[in-house]
Amino acid sequence: MTRGRVLVAMSGGVDSSVAAALLVRQGYDAVGVTMKLFHDGGEIPDRPCCSLDSVNDARRVAESLGIPHYVLNLQDEFGHDVVADFVAEYAAGRTPIPCVRCNTFTKFRDLLAKADAIDARWIATGHYARLADGRLQRGRDDAKDQTYFLWGIDRGVLDRLILPVGDLTKTETRAVARELGLLTAEKPESQEICFVPDGDYVKVLERELPADAPALSPGPIVALDGTVLGTHDGFARYTIGQRRGLPGGRAEPLYVVALRPDDRAVVVGPREALLGRGLRAMTVRWLVDPAPVVGTTLHVRVRHRATPVAGTLLAVDGDAVEIALETPVHAIAPGQSAVFYDGDVVLGGGVIAAGRRTLPVRAA
Amino acid sequence: MSAPPIYLDHAATTPVRAEVFDAMSPFFGPRFGNPSSAHRWGREARAALDEARERVAQCLGAAPDEVCFTSGGTESDNLAVLGAWRVLRTQGKRAVVTSPTEHKAVLVAAHQAAKEGAEERLLRIDATGRIDLAEASITLGTDTAVCSLMWVNNETGVVQPIAELAALAKAQGALFHTDAVQAFGKVEVDARAIPFDFASVSGHKVGAPKGIGAFYIRRGTPLEPLFFGGSQDRGRRPGTENVAAAVGLARAMELAVLEREAHWRTFEAMRDALQAALEAKVPGLVVHGGAAPRAPHILNVSVPGTDSESLLMALDLQGVAASSGSACQSGSITPSHVLSAMGVAPDLANAAIRMSFGALNGPDDVARVAELFPALVAKARGLAGVA
Repeated sequence: MTRGRVLVAMSGGVDSSVAAALLVRQGYDAVGVTMKLFHDGGEIPDRPCCSLDSVNDARRVAESLGIPHYVLNLQDEFGHDVVADFVAEYAAGRTPIPCVRCNTFTKFRDLLAKADAIDARWIATGHYARLADGRLQRGRDDAKDQTYFLWGIDRGVLDRLILPVGDLTKTETRAVARELGLLTAEKPESQEICFVPDGDYVKVLERELPADAPALSPGPIVALDGTVLGTHDGFARYTIGQRRGLPGGRAEPLYVVALRPDDRAVVVGPREALLGRGLRAMTVRWLVDPAPVVGTTLHVRVRHRATPVAGTLLAVDGDAVEIALETPVHAIAPGQSAVFYDGDVVLGGGVIAAGRRTLPVRAA
Repeated sequence: MSAPPIYLDHAATTPVRAEVFDAMSPFFGPRFGNPSSAHRWGREARAALDEARERVAQCLGAAPDEVCFTSGGTESDNLAVLGAWRVLRTQGKRAVVTSPTEHKAVLVAAHQAAKEGAEERLLRIDATGRIDLAEASITLGTDTAVCSLMWVNNETGVVQPIAELAALAKAQGALFHTDAVQAFGKVEVDARAIPFDFASVSGHKVGAPKGIGAFYIRRGTPLEPLFFGGSQDRGRRPGTENVAAAVGLARAMELAVLEREAHWRTFEAMRDALQAALEAKVPGLVVHGGAAPRAPHILNVSVPGTDSESLLMALDLQGVAASSGSACQSGSITPSHVLSAMGVAPDLANAAIRMSFGALNGPDDVARVAELFPALVAKARGLAGVA
């Protein structure tokens, strides 16, 4: 007896290949899909949808597992929800994480709609995260945990989500892939943003923004006291915490501590100036019900793979929150995610609106 | 799933017919010779190839020297558009004329001609999918090297008035090519009746294998080859001939001619029954090309509020193979340029489902799809449980 139909997102990589294989082994009626998310054959305008090697890999894995496989064209949706936002965020002086929005919108909203159309009770991916008691939890492999990118999904999705490799370490995943003879077993890890060629996000901005866009135009490099130390060729080329590309020859190295689109300034300062003792997050989503209340102690992660630090929920204002951190954290960058944990459980998360250099006054 | 699968994608490809397979098999065995060789093996192959050419010619109302074997529809289309353009550009002609509903094999070949200096012109398509004849002769002008128009549209089944269009093009001094890939076996393709200079036929649409096609060239028509090499096919198509496939193509084309009228009636009855059932059961269903004369084997519909991808997946998971009409190599789907050219709104074009009938279908298939389709539509519309 089948355990129901599951739509499994197959990227052509080893993690989702193993996810599909495990679902088949567990008796699910698995249907594999590969999302076509962006146009990668720039030279051939009439053929926007062809020949990604990864699509072929996914198709061959599905074939070897004896499950159907489809390629879904989500380029318009991805272009709008992910790529356009990515560009707009950089243009606004923030540092976006497109993977978060891809999960929130493309995978767990648009792809879920496809699952509905084929009567699939479940949706599965190769993410390193776990589900227990209806709650999203960190993956067993701490080095691979991907919950940082998953906080934005609708809580209702958790009830339909299967994450087959969340209980495995990457080493174990590869071992399963080898054991099953999957052709993707030895595929190297992809760490880059899928639509950014050669890891150079500025290329994407240069392609998508007008040539005279402020974010890519010269502006001042300014010290915290307002002294102009030099010029740069576009604030979108800088990220909070960055050292490279700044004036040198000083006793104390300089870091980017803020980007100020209003006057195109890249604000620099010493390392201490990067220390944040709190943060404000917006578009917050809670994955637990009831949501944490003001005064709750939680752990906060402000970048992928960082060790969560203890914090307190100081204020909730609609879908914005104010957080105090017990230990100062370096380089809290607007646009990145703040993800809230209780042990292994993901409570929720939000997009960082601002870091706070001084500890906010606690609510009485 | 216990019910047998239903193949409703004959416009994409058809199975090789048993008669065709049998006719080809000696050429994979003892009669393996190269038709250009002077010895007995070569002579045997040459005899088979010549005979195949005669039989193909017969099917097209042509003389044997007017038939060239190619790898299929795309090569034939490229040969017509580029082969004619490259000769006539030296004689003062400057335009290549097609329509926006052509197959990509013609459209992209025309883009290539444009890169080589041609002026690319498109004839206007009306909302029914037919070419606007009144405007056509103006667009054609007297400076057109070649005009290429599809006889039966592969996505909608719409039949173009090829006799009139060929006459118009000839009157303006242009060469005329028709892509008859979907037409052959459905309408009468007779070079004696219609003055086309070139015509493309594809084997695998009519029960021959993939990788073989016929290209008709009216005697005396200038043409520059795409390939260069030996003198095979009078230098028009160098390369050792695919003897087995040519023999298979001849057999398949003969059968298609013999069965043409009976097929028309059978397919039309099934297509009309399915269309009527879907129109009755699915509110808002749009039939693309329904207002124009259509070949009998193609039904292309859109249901507002659905998308092709979801419906095709759902159909396939129920054992029904259909198409959006515009799949490409990766298997993903983009909105059809044909429907867009007919003025179909993007949302509706994105929902197109092409079902195409053929030898594998019977009336039971119509009944099952008529039952299944509305239920799947309800789910795709997000109304699961309502149907």
